Amino acid sequence: MARVVKSTIIDAPVDRVWAILRDFNGFDRWLPPIKASAIERHLPADLIGCVRRVQLQDGAEVREQLLGLSDLEMTFSYCLLDTPIPLFNYVAHVRLLPVTDGNRTFWHWEARFTAPASAEADMTHLVAELIFQAGFESMRNNCKALAA
Amino acid sequence: MAKVYTSSVVNAPAAKVWARVRDFNGLPAWHPAIGESRIENGEPADKVGCIRDFRLRNGDRIREQLLGLSDYDMFCTYSILESPMGVENYVATLRLTPVTDGARTFMEWTAEFDCAPEREAELVSNIGTGVFQGGFDALKRQFGG
Repeated sequence: MARVVKSTIIDAPVDRVWAILRDFNGFDRWLPPIKASAIERHLPADLIGCVRRVQLQDGAEVREQLLGLSDLEMTFSYCLLDTPIPLFNYVAHVRLLPVTDGNRTFWHWEARFTAPASAEADMTHLVAELIFQAGFESMRNNCKALAA
Repeated sequence: MAKVYTSSVVNAPAAKVWARVRDFNGLPAWHPAIGESRIENGEPADKVGCIRDFRLRNGDRIREQLLGLSDYDMFCTYSILESPMGVENYVATLRLTPVTDGARTFMEWTAEFDCAPEREAELVSNIGTGVFQGGFDALKRQFGG
């Protein structure tokens, strides 16, 4: 089982970052690899168990299910249901915490998954850098643009 | 029950910051408000249940007991046994979490306690801003930001 843990500091108040992140149907607005997103059966995006169908820039489609969401703890968890790449048993957790010193945000994002041994390094790089770290950078730019 | 939450970021890897703050008898080495400290009964400072007896620079004496310490999760939990602060059931936790983006450390210091209602705002401010943020500011100075 592979594990990816990434964390960063976003120079924006935690409420503002959470308002963007908690929208399970809104990743296409800030996560670069995602072109479009829709919740199946038109369920609300904060209904636990809802499934989002996400189109990636390369045309591939991914289905992910919301496993848990807490506005109090500012956390959510989701898993991959269908994906065209060899990423199995994928569960991810997002957690925000306030940095009271400077009114900033600590963002912790982690995932566990299995992959065939030959693909594990590639899958780890994909998740760690192309999704998580890329997400951090674009959220940072997003918040800067909102503040400007 | 009053709650205090203070958090900050220091520009040093978590292992380095943890090496400094994990010593339950080591507050005088890094916290500017603490004058001297000793562990009662000659116990090791990382023995859960040990008691530190320390003095603030203003002369106040405080006794605190180590309730939990984890090198794996990088946290330290302790309670106040005796202090002139006027708090009851005081339990605090100092926790470090690595920030992978830039090899920094996210530091959280929380406390919960009971006190006279009219003193709550003052105590929350003194503990959160004075003790906790004061400690974080000192660590930031010591580790260069």
